Amino acid sequence: MRDSRTGWLLLSPTLIILLVFGFAPFLYVLFVGFNQWNIFSADDGLVFNGLDNFRRLVFDDDFLHSVGLTMRFAIFAIGSQIVLGFVLAQMLTRNFPGKSLFRVIHTLPLMVAPIAVGAIWRLLVIPGFGPAPFFLDRWFDLTYQIGTYPDQALWTSVIMDVWHWTPFVTLTMLAGLTAIPKEPVEQAKVDGANRFQVFWYVTLPFLRPVLLTTVFIRIMDAIRTVDEVWMLAGGGPGTRFTGIYIWRVVFPRTDYGYGSSISIITLYLTIVLCWLLFIAISGRRKGEVE
Amino acid sequence: MKKLFTLVLLLAFVLLANMSLVTADMHDWWAEAAAPYAGTTIRGVSESTPPSNYVADVLAAQFTELTGINVEFETTSWDQMYSKAINDMEANTGIYDFVYIEQDIIYSYLAQDYLVNLTQFAADNMDLAYADYDESAFTSFADYFKNADGDLFGVPMEAFVKVYLYRKDLFENADIQAAFEAEYGYPLAPAETFEQYRDNAEFFTAYGESMDMDLWGTTVQGSTGHPASTYEFLESIGPSFGLYNWGINLETGSAQSANGGALDGETAIEALSYWTGLLPFAPPEATSSTWDEVASSFAAGRAAQGWVYGENAAWIATDESRSAVTGNVGVRLPVTAPGVIEAAEMGEGYIGYYDGGAFGVPHSSRNKEATLLWLQFIGQSSVQAEWAAAGARITHTATFDDPLIAEQDTKVDGYYTLLEEQGPLFAGAPPFPFHAQVREIIDPFVQRAILGELTAEEALSQAAAAVDEELSRLGYGM
Repeated sequence: MRDSRTGWLLLSPTLIILLVFGFAPFLYVLFVGFNQWNIFSADDGLVFNGLDNFRRLVFDDDFLHSVGLTMRFAIFAIGSQIVLGFVLAQMLTRNFPGKSLFRVIHTLPLMVAPIAVGAIWRLLVIPGFGPAPFFLDRWFDLTYQIGTYPDQALWTSVIMDVWHWTPFVTLTMLAGLTAIPKEPVEQAKVDGANRFQVFWYVTLPFLRPVLLTTVFIRIMDAIRTVDEVWMLAGGGPGTRFTGIYIWRVVFPRTDYGYGSSISIITLYLTIVLCWLLFIAISGRRKGEVE
Repeated sequence: MKKLFTLVLLLAFVLLANMSLVTADMHDWWAEAAAPYAGTTIRGVSESTPPSNYVADVLAAQFTELTGINVEFETTSWDQMYSKAINDMEANTGIYDFVYIEQDIIYSYLAQDYLVNLTQFAADNMDLAYADYDESAFTSFADYFKNADGDLFGVPMEAFVKVYLYRKDLFENADIQAAFEAEYGYPLAPAETFEQYRDNAEFFTAYGESMDMDLWGTTVQGSTGHPASTYEFLESIGPSFGLYNWGINLETGSAQSANGGALDGETAIEALSYWTGLLPFAPPEATSSTWDEVASSFAAGRAAQGWVYGENAAWIATDESRSAVTGNVGVRLPVTAPGVIEAAEMGEGYIGYYDGGAFGVPHSSRNKEATLLWLQFIGQSSVQAEWAAAGARITHTATFDDPLIAEQDTKVDGYYTLLEEQGPLFAGAPPFPFHAQVREIIDPFVQRAILGELTAEEALSQAAAAVDEELSRLGYGM
């Protein structure tokens, strides 16, 4: 009994912080989401409007478009990061000349703040001044203008995100790979499994928890991406992701009620997506116990 | 003769002594008035512009030296400036003691009662009133920051117009002039009509290509990821065609022609078609360009002509460390459609945007008295001329006659004279208390027109409908 009380006592600061800075703001956003509230409207107070905000977003083409774009961005960026991260992690499990130097250089982007990453890439790709459009034009006769071609803006965002976050995936994969016991791998090889079979039937199942955690973290990050894409293209066509759309609704438009409802729905979508992925990757079904 | 010489010498001595006494008195006054607040830090936020940077780099240090009051002045991006200021004032957190109030947002701030009435506050604190600060010394631009009673809510810190800049070295080159005339059948000159402007743009783009130069015919502030494109269309191009107040009829609360608005009308469609039609003659960075990039492009010599905010005119024309076209910058009134100038002269319209801003004190400020001293310091006449020379901004009527400005005026091809004499043809943004809210609604449609995803007619028809919906939601519509 005393142990339990001590445990709660020790936990209480964390719980209080969580309640004050996590749960309370969430409840507030939930409350605001059911109100019309724009400080620059003729009536600038909160007016309860039930589910109107949620009904509005179902018919909001800009919001739906932003969700579609965000999904495309997340799928391509995270997919690329997982594949690249795994390959690089595999490479780093072996010894090769310059391995330490490569690991340091490879990890560097991870240490750069997203806003700085966006600024660096903007300087690289801004038409007229950046080296990327200049050399693409000179060497490949390719017109590269992220302000004019939405697809180019989207793909540039994906590449930038891959450059920034692949080191994170590499490090987590590396941790997962080095934790795999050697015996099952050697046993599979003795039994005649080829490299693909070893990967598919031994390595991958062992990596599954790491993979799941990494994908969850990256999905959450990708869906709420704002700062680096904002710096890169200002959230123009091709990069008007949900996070940026929410920012626009909440800050310049000061439509706090509607912005809150979009935030809630985006959180809900993130949870559903993660849950679906959890089921798909872990293979767990209803009622199953590990 | 000897007596006369002695007399002159004596007079000069008395004059000098008097001047140094006045200067010493001034110093004493600031130190004495600021004594209770010495050591206080006042914080402000503004957009990073040439006039704001002058405040941060020069005026803040001078003020601190005189008063002992520290000034922390944050110059940030335009978007961030608004977010930070509005969040602070709305939440009443008191982070900022003074905020930049752009002319177009003042109506929203006044409607929300965010700002301290400076006239009243100064009257209530007469011991802080500085003799060289006089509200009546400001140009009529200050009227935008006054309420119906004439009380001031912001000390004007910058005011300028968006002008037509062109490259004199290109327009006055005899070979180029001959080539132009041979092709178009009339002499090359700074544009006075839209057709001429387009011809110039087309010609110089082709010329740049043929000479393998990084030169295009015109700037276009056409960022597809920033409201700057909407602003250029609504506040520069639109008015020059005769589209006023963003095409929104405040009486009916509508932007649609069917309800008295004009955003989807023929004039607006013509203006948007014309403007987006210039994109093939603009540098490739045009669709990523805000006002900053437009100025940079022109300064880099990448455009032969363009619409450029006047705050940049001085450094583009004179600062060799930043501009490749110094000494070759021509300044004119922007091109207008027939009848627009006449309408502006009669007070029935305007030809472009008279931009600028002021520093105001939020009610949430915790250091109002110290900030009042600061605002008087930047609003006094003695600091105006150098500030105007550095930032091409003028807020005092007397600054126009200052010898420093007269000298600078010749280097900037009469920009300051144009500002003084033809400034009244321009106007500030319409008095909307919903400025940013409605502009955000229009942005995507203008941007899609720039990308060619929508025709001008489609974009403006959809924009007008969306504006009406938003106005209705905000409680200002039909």
